[in-house]
Amino acid sequence: MANEPKKPLLEITGLTRRFGGLTAVNGLSLTVGEGELVSVIGPNGAGKTTLFNLISGLDAPDAGTVTFEERDVTGFTAERLASFGLARSFQHGRVFGNLSVLDNVLVGAHTRLRAVKPRIPVVGPLVELALALIRPPSVRAEEERLRAEAKEIIALFGERLTPRLDKPAHSLSYANRRRVEIARALALHPRLLLLDEPTAGMNPTETAEMLEIIRSLKARGLTILLIEHKLDLVMQLSDRVVVMDHGARIAEGLPAAVASDPAVIEAYLGHKAVGAANQDSANQDGGRDAEGDASRILVAH
Amino acid sequence: MGAGYGQGFELTPEGPIIVFPTTLGPWLDYTINGLVIGNIYALLAVGLALIFGVSHLINFAHGSVYMVGAYIGWLCVTKLNLPLPVTFVTVAAGCGLLGAVIERVGLRPLRNAPRIAPLLATIGLSVVLDQSAQLLFSPDPRALPTQLPTWRIAIGGGSIGALDLLIAGVGIGSAGLLYGFLRFTKLGWAVRATALDRDAAQQCGVDVDKVNRTVFAIASALGGVSGLLVGMYYNTIDPNMGFQAGLKGIVAQLIGGVGNVPGAIAGSLLLGLIESYGIALFGTSYRNLFAFVALILILVLRPNGLFAQARRLPPEPLTGTFIAPSRPLVLPKWAVWGLAALALALPLAVQQPYLLQTLGNAWLYALLALSLTLVAGTVGQVSLGHAGLLAIGAYASSLLALDAGVPVLLAVPLAGLVAAALGTALVYPAFRLRGHYVSIATLAVGEIVTLVILNWESLTRGPIGVTGIPPLSVAGKPLVSGQWVYWVPLAVLLAFAALQSRLLNSHLGRTLRAIREDDVAARSYGVDLNRYKGLAFAVAGFIAGVGGALMAHFYSYINHETFPAPVSMLALTMVILGGLGNVAGAVLGAAVLVGLPELFRAAAEYRMLIYGVVLLLLIRFRPQGLLGTV
Amino acid sequence: MLDLILRSTALVAGTLSLLTALGVVQPAFSQPADPAKEPVVLGVSGPLTGQYAQYGAQWQRGFDLALEQVNAGGGIQGRPLRVQFEDSQSDPKQTVAIARKFVADSRIVAELGDFTSAASMAASPIYQNGGLVQFGFTNSHPDFTRGGDFVWSNALNQAEEMPVLADYAVTALGLKRVALLFINNDWGRTSKDLFAKAARERGAEVVGAEGYLADEKDFRSALVRVRDTRPDGIVLVSYYADGAQITRQLREAGLTQPVVAAGSVYSPKFLELGGAAVEGVHTTTPFFPGDPRPEVQTFVKAYTGKYGIEPDAYSSRAYDALLLLATVIRQSGTDRTAVRDGLATVKDAPSVVYGTVRFDPQTRRVDKPLSTRLVVKNGGFALWEPGTAKVSN
Repeated sequence: MANEPKKPLLEITGLTRRFGGLTAVNGLSLTVGEGELVSVIGPNGAGKTTLFNLISGLDAPDAGTVTFEERDVTGFTAERLASFGLARSFQHGRVFGNLSVLDNVLVGAHTRLRAVKPRIPVVGPLVELALALIRPPSVRAEEERLRAEAKEIIALFGERLTPRLDKPAHSLSYANRRRVEIARALALHPRLLLLDEPTAGMNPTETAEMLEIIRSLKARGLTILLIEHKLDLVMQLSDRVVVMDHGARIAEGLPAAVASDPAVIEAYLGHKAVGAANQDSANQDGGRDAEGDASRILVAH
Repeated sequence: MGAGYGQGFELTPEGPIIVFPTTLGPWLDYTINGLVIGNIYALLAVGLALIFGVSHLINFAHGSVYMVGAYIGWLCVTKLNLPLPVTFVTVAAGCGLLGAVIERVGLRPLRNAPRIAPLLATIGLSVVLDQSAQLLFSPDPRALPTQLPTWRIAIGGGSIGALDLLIAGVGIGSAGLLYGFLRFTKLGWAVRATALDRDAAQQCGVDVDKVNRTVFAIASALGGVSGLLVGMYYNTIDPNMGFQAGLKGIVAQLIGGVGNVPGAIAGSLLLGLIESYGIALFGTSYRNLFAFVALILILVLRPNGLFAQARRLPPEPLTGTFIAPSRPLVLPKWAVWGLAALALALPLAVQQPYLLQTLGNAWLYALLALSLTLVAGTVGQVSLGHAGLLAIGAYASSLLALDAGVPVLLAVPLAGLVAAALGTALVYPAFRLRGHYVSIATLAVGEIVTLVILNWESLTRGPIGVTGIPPLSVAGKPLVSGQWVYWVPLAVLLAFAALQSRLLNSHLGRTLRAIREDDVAARSYGVDLNRYKGLAFAVAGFIAGVGGALMAHFYSYINHETFPAPVSMLALTMVILGGLGNVAGAVLGAAVLVGLPELFRAAAEYRMLIYGVVLLLLIRFRPQGLLGTV
Repeated sequence: MLDLILRSTALVAGTLSLLTALGVVQPAFSQPADPAKEPVVLGVSGPLTGQYAQYGAQWQRGFDLALEQVNAGGGIQGRPLRVQFEDSQSDPKQTVAIARKFVADSRIVAELGDFTSAASMAASPIYQNGGLVQFGFTNSHPDFTRGGDFVWSNALNQAEEMPVLADYAVTALGLKRVALLFINNDWGRTSKDLFAKAARERGAEVVGAEGYLADEKDFRSALVRVRDTRPDGIVLVSYYADGAQITRQLREAGLTQPVVAAGSVYSPKFLELGGAAVEGVHTTTPFFPGDPRPEVQTFVKAYTGKYGIEPDAYSSRAYDALLLLATVIRQSGTDRTAVRDGLATVKDAPSVVYGTVRFDPQTRRVDKPLSTRLVVKNGGFALWEPGTAKVSN
């Protein structure tokens, strides 16, 4: 299953982010090749979400570089990175509550709109305003095309979202909001998709559905970086797995190899040896979940 | 007759003055005076900071509680002849009770309402309290004599009296007590837990209602005592004393960092110093201008206040954002067209000029509401300085017509462009701010506009105002009759409302609303916040600018008092009442809020009280606005 | 206080029920009655609520007293005189609506007010086009009466008042270096310029002028600036509340120079709010309760009898304005245009403010107000010096 990466799409070297005394990401390096699906796992508080924030431009690193498609994008803003084709979902799901499902997905296509292209200050926005008000046939055609496409994307989720196209997102179930998030990300036509725990809060049936969707995305050649706690899903989908603990990479490799790595089991079984001094109380609850996950690794093995 | 300083010991009508000779000169005096007035601001800022810290609410009723405290004190001192300590206790108890009642009756029923609803409720409460005081005690100012000794210590050219020391003592003492309460009592822990994370505190068994009530009671008791002290300080109390004082308190606590009690005191002293030095450098008339410009600078350079710790990325929202879930009432298209046609035809059926003028005013204010509902409702940038855009439009159009000889029909749209450009440029530094900070920054921008108009005499004619503004006219025929003051604003309003609806139905509407719902997620999808906030403010500035220009040409005279801060409040009330972001709602809100005071005209001096009560009832039973958030 | 609460509850309830009936009741007013007994109505647009409410309340006391006297004296040729006081909050959007209401209401013979320039002058075009006299009895804005030939004012003309004040400060009190503090609005600004000119003409130097914002309460830093100009006297162009405040803080700051204030501080409230600090403040007033003229004595006796307090500048202006219009209407009739023409020709209307009133038909303002020099003495206004009761310009 492990395809040899063609060329690195995303390359991270020595990435570091500190919050006061806490080093959330500590000299992390990572590459994701074109068409690859890489999973990042690790106990809660390991710095996975901070890593995503750094990659997607919501936060800036204290040290290290991020290279996307051979361009150094370290410290670029989130909106610029989005226009390069980087899309993400959020850990707790950040849908636009009062926007309809369809509008949520259409916001995902924002960077593809022709009207938003001119980035010249003052003139650009005014042209965009004029296009929005006058709506010449080309703009209308584009909007129609995007709507049709958004509905297609939504149809990926079967009958979960299609009947709720015009419902405000706040009225959806938690699982459906996660689906909307992924649909929104797909509407961006991403070169790289960052998924932060896409199955959190889903029951086994829903998780299985999501697994199939991600698998199909991968089959279409989409490059995906995935944070996930459900390790059986990780084992089934990933080309490679990166394990993080205390902001650093402690293991990397094929899923099977990683699962049997003693350092990984150590980390998952509750920080017995490595970096125990660095442990903060917020990790305690997460640690318990992780133990369950770790035992599942062993089972899967 | 010398300047009376540095001359040893002398007697004044107020009592002996002890003079410490000094050579430091006026800068010392400005510093002392700045600290003295900052000391007074601190009294209010501490209470506001406490309430904000726990309830995340800018309490506009705090100034009114302060006024009530002054009046309770006045009753105690002049009617009941109570000794000073008893007066203090009575005021604190009375206002503490009032605070608890405000929380229970005005705010608790709104805890599940949109975050903006309690803010509006505090505005409504403030109207009710101010008007009640005016009815009970008459609007005349009254003297509130102090029973403190009248000795004064002269420092440099100024002097400090017993009251100054008492005020400082109460300010610092109450901050110390608060600190002890928050640190060492169980309830204090609960308050801090609630301040950090309300939902989590509730899940841990904290009685959040009790915490809120306690905080309101404490802050209000403190506010009441402040009113008493400041009343004694100036020997003057009046029913309107709260608004300006509350405003300064809000500014002060913002400089220190909202919700930060020691920061509020430091911010107040700093505000006092900034004002005092502003007077020293530029003159008395520049006092507030200097203060508000400093506020904007501080907000831009240190968005969380001078004394706040640097914050991380805002946490991910778990339950809803600023805008609560809403299901707006959608008027069918035929109904909208029908209503518009009816409105246009009204003057043919009804010829009452008074009714037409009132509705004409409503349409003019609807332009303001339309403008505000775009930035505050659709984009979620709650502006409290929107009257400034009216003023810019009004002055631009008047001066273009009078000084540059531009025909009025051309001057009005040009004024819209000026307001769009100037308004956007003025608010631009605030684009990086979030939530309440945006509101306060825009409030400051509104004040700055007024003060620049007052002080830039060569352009604006300063306090004299602009007279003889020509009326709108077509082919040399002035449009001044009752029908035209109705039709012109209505036609402009319908045109803008149609444009705005079209805008909201385009990809821009979707984008702007996405910013409001979750700006972090919006950025992650390539939405450049500055670009779209700028665009929204420009459109809003154009609409409000045209509205202001029309008003100027109808009024024929404008000055810096024509569009005061309460107009901004009124506009926000209209927008919230109608439903945030809702175009029809903005029009309805304007019609209701311009119409109600006219409808209640028969009630004479009671009408504003009735207005306040009706406003509160509307918020209570329809917090998402009459037509709902779009 | 209990009765206040009861009264307010009752009135709230009453007005609410009235509101529901409002739409139905209003047209009933226009029923044809005996025209000889129909009241003559004057419209008043003024602040009863809002930040200027205190001034509206003072107006109302003056109006009520004047109405009592006019109606006790037979009204207008047997018809009772009435005032319809509409609360405007001195808000331009409300004054224009009120103006439309008054213009359309055929019972209204003339209009009085509003209070601020912004509110009054916004309504002027409507009164002018509607042919209803707008009588701005406190509107001192230099351009107020330029609104048209239906816009009149008997407000003190600052071009007259300020030289009188300068006479007092410079010639009589001998001040040579005066510092000015003025409220930075149209009135304060105009007055300041006129005073400075008049003072210079009389040989004094104006060493400093500080304009302050209308809602200012803290003047300490402004007073440091004033002090550092080393003036030998301080002139206030202020209303009574801010005037009292400045004087208090000035004395607290150790400034002992004589203070001369414009006539607008003339109010019992100035004494109440200023306390001991205002002792020795000089002012001029066109109206002074100690004035022996019978019309003044009638007014003061009736006013103190009815309200238990001394009249102030604003209630005396309101009283005066209403009596003046009653006189004009008696002479010229109740036709709106006749009222305008009557104002141009009225010669001997009695006035507590002016003695007798006469308008300049070109400027539609009154010339030559009376002026009395006062000083605060033992907590009350007293004539400054025996024998200088009246200084006619």
